[in-house]
Amino acid sequence: MSCDELRDGYELYALGVLEDPERSELREHLGRGCEVCVAGVKRAREAMAVLAETVPPVAPPPRLRRRILASVGVERSRWWVTPMWVGISLSCLVAAFYYAGREHSLGIQMARVQTQSRQLLEEAARLNEALALLNQPETKQVTFGEGAPKPPRGRVFVNPRQGVLLLASNLPPAPPGKIYEMWIIPKGGNPVPAGLFQSDAEGAAMHLRRGPVDVAATGAVAVTLEAEGGAPQPTSTPLIVAAL
Amino acid sequence: MTLLPLLLAAGLSEGDRELAERLQRREPEALAELYDRYGRLAYALIYRIVRDTGAAEDLVQETFLRVWNRAQGFDAGKGSLGPWLLAVARNRAIDYLRSTSGRLRNALELEETEHPSHFLDLEKQILNSDMVRRVKGAFARLSENQRAVIELAYFEGLSQTEMSERMGQPLGTVKTWVRTALQILRDELGAAVSA
Repeated sequence: MSCDELRDGYELYALGVLEDPERSELREHLGRGCEVCVAGVKRAREAMAVLAETVPPVAPPPRLRRRILASVGVERSRWWVTPMWVGISLSCLVAAFYYAGREHSLGIQMARVQTQSRQLLEEAARLNEALALLNQPETKQVTFGEGAPKPPRGRVFVNPRQGVLLLASNLPPAPPGKIYEMWIIPKGGNPVPAGLFQSDAEGAAMHLRRGPVDVAATGAVAVTLEAEGGAPQPTSTPLIVAAL
Repeated sequence: MTLLPLLLAAGLSEGDRELAERLQRREPEALAELYDRYGRLAYALIYRIVRDTGAAEDLVQETFLRVWNRAQGFDAGKGSLGPWLLAVARNRAIDYLRSTSGRLRNALELEETEHPSHFLDLEKQILNSDMVRRVKGAFARLSENQRAVIELAYFEGLSQTEMSERMGQPLGTVKTWVRTALQILRDELGAAVSA
């Protein structure tokens, strides 16, 4: 095919949706450094980048930033925080603020209290979300790691409307450059990525994959250790397998 | 209307370069800055595709971790950080959409489109407000069917054959709509770049 015939495929190629035979032909042109097609695909990538700007603005929840930073070890996630702890911690923070007032400025103290209280409230919200899933009568529960002294142990809760909740213990923090990835494995199908998470210093972890789940069609939930960015398919032996 | 034009005005490309270098040095604060710069747009884009807040959060996390993990392969001097991150974000969302809808997944095809080497030497001001305004204007001028096919390709990752099936229209008709729509967008973008 000539460059002119391939021209209409540049944008679709940039989006990964061009079909054969145009896709193979264009790859061949790009592979041999065809200047017309290389320039055309570059312009197509620019155009497709701008299309992202046409989406309506939606603000992410504030907890997402902290969750992402926690996954690379900037801030450790503390999922066990409950509303009671929120109250206790706030009281302590207020007391600390009072007694430290002579040494630090009012503004700095206030900012710190506000930041920490916001973090605690976010953790409480996350825990409440998990509790809501646990309280649903249609939630199915399975255990894993029972009878084994060292490997990770815990429970997986699957709710057809709300998602999959994993609670694990004896799961040491993933080493630097690695992260845990959960998988939903359909019966007779390939594992589907279900989110990345980290465990805390005590080996405890909670991970919630939100969204509908076809419980009847799901064979198992598993966890593997993957590179930080996650993987489209498991690349290591599962550390956790909870058969449904 | 959107947030990024405010952030991506002139000068941000240089900021992106420095930020990319810090990401390559594995400075955790650089990831925080990257999120502050692109997190809202990445979330809005992913949410537009998956229409589920929980899944969108998971996918935004995967996007930023993927960029964090692959920053070493990014050419900080020539690369365009924003378009690369947005491509990763879109691909994560499309892959999720395909997996949940039972459609045939071609993860390798998506992986290929987001390789950092593809985001070298792009027009530096590609995401500036004037460019975005022009493309939005061109988008608004598309007919309903022309706009639909572009959205199906971009936001749902459908090929022209899949669009034809989804819309119940002959493949030739769909190809005509795609060709015309892309020509209008190209003309507008070309005019904006040369302006």
